[in-house]
Amino acid sequence: MWYKRTIPLLLVLAFGLAGFGHDYVPHPASNAFREEVTTGFVIIGGFALFIGAYSLFHMHISRIRRKQPGWAYSIFVFLGAALMVCLGLWNDGDWMFVDPQPGVVTSFQWCYDYILVPCNATIFSILAFFIASAAFRTFRARNFSALLLLAAAVVVMFGRVPVSERVGQFLFDSPNAFAHVSEILLNYPNLAAKRAILLGVSLGVISQSLRIIFGIERTYMGGGD
Amino acid sequence: MAEPDTDVRSPARPVELGVLGVLLAVFFIASFWIQKPFELSGESFVRSIGIILAAGLTLVMYSFLYRDNPLFKAAENFYVGVALGYMAVQTWHMALRPEVVEPLFLAPTHDALFTALLHRTVPIVLGILLLTRISKTRAWLSRYAYCPLVGWYAGVAISSYTHSIVLKQLQAAIAPLQEAVTTGSAGLLTWAWFAGVFFPVVGSLAMIIGTVSVLFYFFFSLEHGPVGRGVSRVGIWFLMVSFGASFGYTVMARLSLLIGRVQFLLFDWLKLPQ
Amino acid sequence: MPVPAASLKRLAMIRHVIYLLVAAAVIVPFIARLHVGDFQPGPHATKLYKKLDSLPAGTRVLLSFDFDPGSDAELTPMGLALLRHCFKKDLVPLVMTNYPAGLDLARKIMEDAVDDSQKLWGKKKVSGRDYVLLGFRPGQVNLVLKMGENLKTAFETDYYGKPTVDMRALKGVRSLKDLKLVIGISSSAWVETWIIYGADRFGFEYGAGATAVMAPDLYPFLDTGQMVGLLGGLRGAADYEALIKQRGRGTLGMSAQSAAHLLVIVLVLAANVRFVFRRLSGREKG
Repeated sequence: MWYKRTIPLLLVLAFGLAGFGHDYVPHPASNAFREEVTTGFVIIGGFALFIGAYSLFHMHISRIRRKQPGWAYSIFVFLGAALMVCLGLWNDGDWMFVDPQPGVVTSFQWCYDYILVPCNATIFSILAFFIASAAFRTFRARNFSALLLLAAAVVVMFGRVPVSERVGQFLFDSPNAFAHVSEILLNYPNLAAKRAILLGVSLGVISQSLRIIFGIERTYMGGGD
Repeated sequence: MAEPDTDVRSPARPVELGVLGVLLAVFFIASFWIQKPFELSGESFVRSIGIILAAGLTLVMYSFLYRDNPLFKAAENFYVGVALGYMAVQTWHMALRPEVVEPLFLAPTHDALFTALLHRTVPIVLGILLLTRISKTRAWLSRYAYCPLVGWYAGVAISSYTHSIVLKQLQAAIAPLQEAVTTGSAGLLTWAWFAGVFFPVVGSLAMIIGTVSVLFYFFFSLEHGPVGRGVSRVGIWFLMVSFGASFGYTVMARLSLLIGRVQFLLFDWLKLPQ
Repeated sequence: MPVPAASLKRLAMIRHVIYLLVAAAVIVPFIARLHVGDFQPGPHATKLYKKLDSLPAGTRVLLSFDFDPGSDAELTPMGLALLRHCFKKDLVPLVMTNYPAGLDLARKIMEDAVDDSQKLWGKKKVSGRDYVLLGFRPGQVNLVLKMGENLKTAFETDYYGKPTVDMRALKGVRSLKDLKLVIGISSSAWVETWIIYGADRFGFEYGAGATAVMAPDLYPFLDTGQMVGLLGGLRGAADYEALIKQRGRGTLGMSAQSAAHLLVIVLVLAANVRFVFRRLSGREKG
């Protein structure tokens, strides 16, 4: 139906042309329009969080309701969220532990510092073990291309640590020898490849943006009507 | 990866539970002995308890390296909830309250309320419409909210990416060659000429060859003939060096994250001298 | 074909041995208090340092801490070193974040830097006068565009709820166009976002701190001059600490970083030497 698809596509076209054209229109009306649009989109962006929250809660509620394997762990999700929301909204997080004073950490900030930060940081740090294990078990120079990859990785890994300066001083009487080789590798072949990838991605973004504006690409609209 | 042994009837299970009990006891004894939280008061006490909790959560997370276990799963799910709750509260305090609630419901004057209504009504209505995305039958209403966003971002991206990436990168690729041409051949075959003209030109040409060959490698619309396959192979070599450099840096990044946690455990929790 | 149980057990054992070696490589240098000594800062860190150092006292510098606690170990030392440098030079840092999960991390870094300024140089820094913690607003790219028009309407209050309209620290700053330097510390594509939608549009110079994963991808922007300097990973933080002559967690971590890197290099080379021998003896296919 026209109000379910056509009008949204017209909105995409109108705002897309406005987004592209406003840079080239120095009139104050263009600047005022941009300011209104950017203010409005900041407000809309604030509502988007609740969709993510709903999706997550819906998934865990379904798991509890259907008693799927591991459903008991989903209760912890609600416990954690309830704790933070209660602490954060009740009296700005000051109803526990310490009196509200400037510079003194609130209970909400305490939970952030001693629950969220360590959990988040630790989960990502586990990857250090996995990458070392994967490097040992799978990183093989089976052909010339793999050998290039391996050599570049070893040169960069060694060149970026201070101990390479001691080794460089000992072997070549130049503490920066390995760091220098590492920089040459990064500034020439790495730069060439990354530039090509960047150009390719940018051209892809530009073409995809044009497709979106002119309604050729519609996957963002979702299925159904 | 090998499947972990989760059979509750396994003979190793009582041993594992025993070891877990011992480790928990060691953790609590060490924590309270080193941190001494009950000898502190006020913010120091709160901080000390926090460090013990953070250390406990860190070690529970690391228990995953031995194998997946209920403590890890509970901590992981708890963390997901805490993260979501934190972001919801911050979005309320930093965005929704100052941008929506205070201008509309706590406006100091009639003029301020009128200005807020004029500028914020449409975005607020669109924000509420965005929430209909959740509904199966009314999800089309959310298109009125995010289609302007999508269109606007797409329009802004075209000129931004063209100028900031495509043109700038092409310019930078050619610039050393332009400089060499304008510098001319003064001092030909001297050390200064080699350093200032020859090597930069060679490097620049090598980079242009690398960039073009990598772009050619990714061009799958045409079948690559013998020459094309040769050019693609050169592109692959450049890509391999680049991926090797990225892998080296990735190893560095992951190890740095581990170093950060170890620093916390050793210096903040166990209070070892730095 | 199913893998025999004995092989699975052997693989699991190798995995756990490697985990223990990695843990030992990281822990032992700290316990043994090994130090790598002085080292030469990298060229890109030096460029960023010189850029910040050249600014006169009172210059407003925007620092955007666009990361969450997952990148805390690499990027927090960078942020702290940069803020220490700003306070040492009596610059006025304006700190913000585009990550809601990184908001209190930015607050903590700011508060640590303020304490350090008092302890190291006896300079008492006051919020609203000597620095501003702007906080977080949703909007992504739109927020950058909005800041390019009017920073004070983008952030009507700071993190502590104080109005920005008459704030002394924001005197003379109406928008991003009035800033000479913006430094983005990021674990994601925010570095590119700041360049594409910020620096190139509004004319300020941009320096970056990035996780080591992202650092090689940013070399094209260094080459074009769109970035004035780059701090890459924990080594980048250590370089900056060496330049400002203030040891911190970056420098402290270099001994463990060296040991761990050497371990990974030895593991990879040993595995490949074994692979080559097995291939030459015909037991391994290419």
